[in-house]
Amino acid sequence: MSTDLKIEGVSKNYGSVSALRDIDMSVERGSFLCLLGPSGCGKTTLLRIIAGFEQATAGRLLLDGTDVSGVPPHKRGFGMVFQSLALFPHMSVAQNIAYGLKLRGIDKARQRDRVEELLNVIELPTIADRPVAALSGGQRQRVAIARALAVQPKLFLLDEPLSALDAKLRENMQIELRQLQRKFGVTTVLVTHDQTEAMMLADQLVIMDHGVIRQSGAPSEVYRAPADAFVADFLGTANVVQGEVMEDGAVMFLGMRAQDKALQVQGAKVEVAIRAENIGVVEKGSPERSTLGRVEFVRDLGPSVESIIAVGEEKLRVRSRASEVTSLSAGQQVGLKIDPELCSFFSR
Amino acid sequence: MNAHRSSLRSFALSLPAIIAIAPFLGACFYIFRFSVSGESGVISGYSLQAYFDLAEPFFLRSVWVTVKLAALSTLVVLILSVPIALVIASVRTALVRRLLTVTILLPMILNLLIQSYGWIILLGPSGVLNTTLRETGLISRPILLLFNETGVLLGLIQTAIPLAVFPILSATRVISREYLEAASSLGAGNWRVFYDVILPLLKPGLVSAASIVFAYNASAFAVPLLLGGRRVQMLGVAIRDMISPLFNWSGAAAAGMVLIVITTGVLLLAAALINRSARTPKPSEVSEPLQSGGGA
Repeated sequence: MSTDLKIEGVSKNYGSVSALRDIDMSVERGSFLCLLGPSGCGKTTLLRIIAGFEQATAGRLLLDGTDVSGVPPHKRGFGMVFQSLALFPHMSVAQNIAYGLKLRGIDKARQRDRVEELLNVIELPTIADRPVAALSGGQRQRVAIARALAVQPKLFLLDEPLSALDAKLRENMQIELRQLQRKFGVTTVLVTHDQTEAMMLADQLVIMDHGVIRQSGAPSEVYRAPADAFVADFLGTANVVQGEVMEDGAVMFLGMRAQDKALQVQGAKVEVAIRAENIGVVEKGSPERSTLGRVEFVRDLGPSVESIIAVGEEKLRVRSRASEVTSLSAGQQVGLKIDPELCSFFSR
Repeated sequence: MNAHRSSLRSFALSLPAIIAIAPFLGACFYIFRFSVSGESGVISGYSLQAYFDLAEPFFLRSVWVTVKLAALSTLVVLILSVPIALVIASVRTALVRRLLTVTILLPMILNLLIQSYGWIILLGPSGVLNTTLRETGLISRPILLLFNETGVLLGLIQTAIPLAVFPILSATRVISREYLEAASSLGAGNWRVFYDVILPLLKPGLVSAASIVFAYNASAFAVPLLLGGRRVQMLGVAIRDMISPLFNWSGAAAAGMVLIVITTGVLLLAAALINRSARTPKPSEVSEPLQSGGGA
């Protein structure tokens, strides 16, 4: 039932403003792709082009190898969940879920069976006859997902569907959404600006900014080996600091030296990204220390301790496990342990 | 204490409305009293004679023409107003929107007399339409579009359009672009989206537009008089004829009561329709405010 999607050279201009530039992307059959980026990066425009609500200025959309660029949205056979969910307020829950089936001319009895089946899947078997306005936020969410999946879509599209929920409910819904997607085996594209959500859901992560794809790959891969400083900064908490390549090829940053084989340009400026959790805090006299810093701010979050530590001009965000740091206080001098192997270097 | 003060406050706030409506209610009562008067020229004694006198073919035909023309014009006005309201709702530029709104409002601003003379200039036997058709050789004798029901119907439709457009326009506010896109993504073509989503959501606006237009046109006076002449006796014209050449005051009052009963009946029916179709859950059932549905 499910299909694979290829996007080739898609661009979108609004007058002289370019919203998307030459996007190439492919989604494998049955996999879950997240479009992640800050607001205004073009991710929603790209999703709307896939759904058919916007026309690309250039490029092609291939569904199992067939170009669907010119097909109107109602003939594409995709299921979509909208940011506002867009459940029809004049229809009951059952009528909402059955709407796509009704349009396909499926008989009443089979519509009813399918609605019942879906309500069981979303674990809300008793709400069929309720008006949409009488549902809670989480219930509405599930009904919107059920409505989109009822028609066995070739492609399942979601536009920041969880953004209206509170944090706890959102986490539960993420897990449920992932399980539903697996169960139906449907090729899925989800747009979000929440990096935790993207990491949680995606098989494949596509990071966008200013209308271009900055990096794409498995979430762990993108997290561990970001392609540039933007990606490193956007995904997780990273410190991006300035460094300089010395004559012998070593990089000087934060008053420490790191040998890095990728960068051999002497005298060049580089950016170094270091994740907050990859910085160790040690005694100022410890032989393990790579550099020295001064604690500016500490807060104990329970499982972890977050601190801001100044090294020269740079201020680093540091996340330590509570068990590793016994006592940190503002104004204290500490040693920092930074492993260059866990840092990413980008030439500027 | 608090309840007392708040009921006092609601009374104070509704005072202007009460002052405005009191003379009207007084007049209604006066008309009612006159309609059951024992004599036709002054109020004295009680009799239902005026009502019995109405049960003759001339007046019954007048009731029939009134209901027919009001209903037909309501239907046509609704059909014309839905696309107009949807177009105005879809306009993004503030200036264009304002221009459209003013254009639609024009019939409300212009005097009915002037508008009716406009129709006479256009549709009369030697008017623009007939002259053009004759000169192009399409007809040899003028088509009669005035001083018959067609002319009155045209006038009723034209003057009532703004009364329908604005209630429908305000009903379009609950329709977000995402509803239409959701229907479309589920497989609905443009017409299906219109029937399954737009029309049902417009329903409260349509029903209130229909009841306003019906009440307005059932009691129309200037339009049937000027465009229908004496041949189209809608109730407004019939009542005036009873008063002015015939001096049958109690008969006119009884006819007025009949008109009030007809329009009130239609308005009550419309209100019942809204309540039944709106499908709005009781406040106690709603756990959260309605989805705003605003597009991204």
